[in-house]
Amino acid sequence: MAKGFVAILAGLLISLNVWAGEHGQPLEKANNDLRDKASLQRGAVLFSNYCQACHSIKYMRYNRIARDLGWTDDEVVQKIAHGLNKPTDAVLARGDLKAISKVLGTTPPDLSLMARRKGPDYIYSFLLGYFEKDPNKGVWDNHYLPGTAMPNVLEDKYRFADEKVRQQTARDLANFLEYVGEPIKLYRQSLGWKVLLFLFVFFIIAYLLKKEYWRDVK
Amino acid sequence: MAEHNSHTSEFEKPGTLLQWLDKRLPLVETWNEHVGQYYAPKNFNFWYYFGSLALLVLVNQFVTGIWLTMSYKPSAAEAFNSIEYIMRDVEWGWLIRYMHSTGASAFFIVVYLHMFRGIMYGSYKQPRELVWIIGMLIFLVLMGEAFMGYLLPWGQMSYWGAQVIISLFGAIPVVGPDLATWIRGDYVISDATLNRFFALHVIALPLVLLILVFLHIVALHRVGSNNPDGVDIKKVKGPDGTPLDGIPFHPYYSVKDTVGAVAFAFLFAVIVFYFPEGGGFFLESPNFEPANPLKTPPHIAPVWYFTPFYAILRAIPDKFFGVVAMGAAIGVLFLLPWLDRCPVRSIRYRGTSFKLLLTMFTVSFLALGYLGTQPATPTLTKLAQLFTAGYFLFFILLPFTSKHEQCKPVPTRVTYHG
Repeated sequence: MAKGFVAILAGLLISLNVWAGEHGQPLEKANNDLRDKASLQRGAVLFSNYCQACHSIKYMRYNRIARDLGWTDDEVVQKIAHGLNKPTDAVLARGDLKAISKVLGTTPPDLSLMARRKGPDYIYSFLLGYFEKDPNKGVWDNHYLPGTAMPNVLEDKYRFADEKVRQQTARDLANFLEYVGEPIKLYRQSLGWKVLLFLFVFFIIAYLLKKEYWRDVK
Repeated sequence: MAEHNSHTSEFEKPGTLLQWLDKRLPLVETWNEHVGQYYAPKNFNFWYYFGSLALLVLVNQFVTGIWLTMSYKPSAAEAFNSIEYIMRDVEWGWLIRYMHSTGASAFFIVVYLHMFRGIMYGSYKQPRELVWIIGMLIFLVLMGEAFMGYLLPWGQMSYWGAQVIISLFGAIPVVGPDLATWIRGDYVISDATLNRFFALHVIALPLVLLILVFLHIVALHRVGSNNPDGVDIKKVKGPDGTPLDGIPFHPYYSVKDTVGAVAFAFLFAVIVFYFPEGGGFFLESPNFEPANPLKTPPHIAPVWYFTPFYAILRAIPDKFFGVVAMGAAIGVLFLLPWLDRCPVRSIRYRGTSFKLLLTMFTVSFLALGYLGTQPATPTLTKLAQLFTAGYFLFFILLPFTSKHEQCKPVPTRVTYHG
């Protein structure tokens, strides 16, 4: 009977994979690493310089970023808030979103949970997915979101940097946004195996206890 | 007068705290009837863990749910924000929330396996018809509880999933549209809907659930547990009047269920700590976007535990008859004790016809569950119709096949290999 149960579970897992593979354009792998603090720090600065004019990450506070990324409160204000915010402030867009939405025709979404909605691979692919539609007018479009209202903010990286630098930029941003999506993720995973280890030991003890009690059941 | 005096002195005699309590509340009697001297068959197998596990998950949902309400805000403007507040700023909020969201799916996994066990070993048959019916009511209330709970995070899938399900009531002739409005408390799903769903999710339905679970256990203990052999253990008793094939629930099954509970907790922790989204099935990715009444997601699918019934709904071309079929798919399960006319309980001694029918039913149920998660293409709809037929055919054919079933002889004692 336990075998049947395992078979059902295996069937479920297979259908999970089918589900996960459901995307239009195949995505590039970001290969980002949440444990790479330097990458996260670069990502935070890049976010501040390239994204934060229009995009908020309103569920994050500057001091939370500081704590998780290994900065002091003063450092975080200086590096990504340009001295304009208090450490306890939420990370909001710097621009006037109403004015921006008039120009672009849409309000730039909050990016707190973008990585949880679409995954870091999508963010990485999207940032590298721009192509010049009309070189004479400097009009860009995106393979992953055709007709996007978002300008190619990494245009300087497309024009003047080599591919490796461009990829690194996108990877650091995807990494940072994955962190922003679930700041607790690394801690969750580091706590998980300790809980599992405890439960494993508990299981052995419970099993031996059961065996002892059941010895007299004939 | 004398009797009155002796009665009073009974209460005045010194004694232990337990004696003091037991004179005023039937503690020892209740303990013995339901735990200490409740004789359960000794041959329970793997499938018999899921009853106690369902109770464990119920406790998990109650405890984590209470703690979630301490920080959750049931309002359309604040609900989504408050969930992120719990995930980021509340101490251990992320763990409590993941335990609750994983617990919802775990509840249905455990309950589906528990029900399957009941069908396999004929646990619904006389004298346990009422145990089965109360269990089905628990399943029904659980679906309502899960559906209402799913609206509370106020994400895109919360909103549009609820929109689809509530609009089903609109398909009922004459009263439908008014009924849907009455359920929502508004013409669209709104703050009013969220507030009433919150009230029902945290108070009304849990209360009903608790009462039903209590009745489920009391009714079971009145008639005694079935077992994988479907043998009535009360028929063979020892000199002390207890069943020869029975063992007291405590300590034998309390310690055995502890093993099961720890093994379950291990799997549960693997999900909570390493796959909290459950591959997009336990937490759906569109739900990380706040509800937006103006933007319909391209593909709306209910959470996985509803998909078998959702697939049946979509398989029927007519909306009203689709709703009827979906309701019938659940309703017909209530009748199982009377549709199955074979006196033999366990699949171990039943004929080929039952084994074939049950296989067809199980395959249909799983296939419908998968199809319900997929967009309805013409091919998949054809398949869903086929498996819908398979699902209902089980209940249609069972009364006829079970009446003339060629069963093996049922032993008088259970099979147990210590």
